[in-house]
Amino acid sequence: MPFAYYARLSRAQQAVYRKSDEIVEVRLARAGALLPVVEELGAALAAEDRATVQRATERMIRALTDELGVSPVKVQVLAARPHAKWGELHGLYTAERGRTPTIQLWMRTAKQRRVVAFRTYLRTLLHEVGHHLDYTLLRLRDSYHTEGFYKRESSLFKQLVPEAARPPGSPMSALSADAWFGVSADARLARLARMPDQVAAALDGRREAALRKRPAPEAWAPTEIVCHLRDAEELFGARVAAILENDEPALPEAGPAERWARERQYARHDPRRALEHFRRRRGESLETLIALPPAEWQRGGEHPSRGRLSIDMLVAHMAWHDDNHLEQLTRALEGRA
Amino acid sequence: MPTMEEYAAQPAAQRLERLTRTAAQLTAAVEGRPETVMARRPDGKNWAPKEIVCHLRDTEEAFGARFEQILAMDVDPRLGAPTADRWAEERQYLRNDALEAIAAFRTRRDENLATLRALTPAQWNKAALHPVRGRMTLDTFLTLMAWHDDNHLDQLARALEGKA
Repeated sequence: MPFAYYARLSRAQQAVYRKSDEIVEVRLARAGALLPVVEELGAALAAEDRATVQRATERMIRALTDELGVSPVKVQVLAARPHAKWGELHGLYTAERGRTPTIQLWMRTAKQRRVVAFRTYLRTLLHEVGHHLDYTLLRLRDSYHTEGFYKRESSLFKQLVPEAARPPGSPMSALSADAWFGVSADARLARLARMPDQVAAALDGRREAALRKRPAPEAWAPTEIVCHLRDAEELFGARVAAILENDEPALPEAGPAERWARERQYARHDPRRALEHFRRRRGESLETLIALPPAEWQRGGEHPSRGRLSIDMLVAHMAWHDDNHLEQLTRALEGRA
Repeated sequence: MPTMEEYAAQPAAQRLERLTRTAAQLTAAVEGRPETVMARRPDGKNWAPKEIVCHLRDTEEAFGARFEQILAMDVDPRLGAPTADRWAEERQYLRNDALEAIAAFRTRRDENLATLRALTPAQWNKAALHPVRGRMTLDTFLTLMAWHDDNHLDQLARALEGKA
């Protein structure tokens, strides 16, 4: 299903969009040869020196364009990234007629001025390289953020960070909440939108008795995981609503999840009804988020143990939360804790 | 059964004392009742006994969260609308065990009582903006809780008899 902006494109643009959406992978024939360059980039970022990061980033991008046989691109690594719509700007690709295209990347967060996490940085880098590849490798007339685009970005990421390529779940299943924070809002929303169907597919054909079985005394049964997703979604909705209704409200400590499971007696619930209610709550969350002007994503509230939480951060956390519990669900269905 | 106004006129200590008795009253009402009675709705739209018990448990948790928010903020927070019927459906109250639900209610109630008993006089006047009831101080919340307990204990006694 295309993202919402598809409807606003012209027919010619829609054709480009569809073509972009169909291509889900960019294969690197010799990905292994690039791994030392990836490692070097990680080390450079850890050293927190801009000139070092600039050199390592240039080598990384040059290795990619050489490997794929496309024209090179200019690279500029900057210090603190500016605020922009969808939170903070992480990278930028600029192509003007008659000039070498440029990729700009920011190595520090705007607010905390911390060096960004390595995976976030690499993913941003691959995102911008993805735009370059759209024009030079795939010969698209425009470079849209389609689901195919994000899958191509993920396919590159997984080839360069092999431990990220573990099953199951989404192409981004190994991302931390911090890394999700560096992923575009569209991609995070697309991840949230997939979840109910992924859970439904996991439960498909299983008997209720099997779903109620805990893989270990302290590990949730599949039914309990689905109930947790449902109630976590309600909490997410309540937090977003509180943030939008108030000016920087206090966000109450909730749960904890283990206490909810016990008090609300998850083990007795019907997992399929729980899934339907999760789906309904998730649909409501997405409706709210999609309708929200980008600047509103920066509104937040104060959590007693987690500090300030913006809507932007809550969405990143929820994307990670989905990945995490989908993996847990898969394990639980196989009888593993 | 005292009205909200009558409870509001009582000293806080008296209202707090009323709250301490509810868990035992719930247990006494439902103990020994067969599952068929506990899960029986008196009519198409009124709750079964176990749904009433679960409602008290979850409301108690919500009260606690509101207290925490009110006490942490310098201005009155705007609260969301209550969603009791949706909770009953989504949290599958009809599949719950009533005595376990009462045990959880008791723990949550004890936590709220501890919070309320520790309030300073100034804190009793801290408040939230309720979408239906308007500005509610913590003192008003205490009144509401006492009345809410009575109201649902009464509803429970009727539901156990199959009456709406």
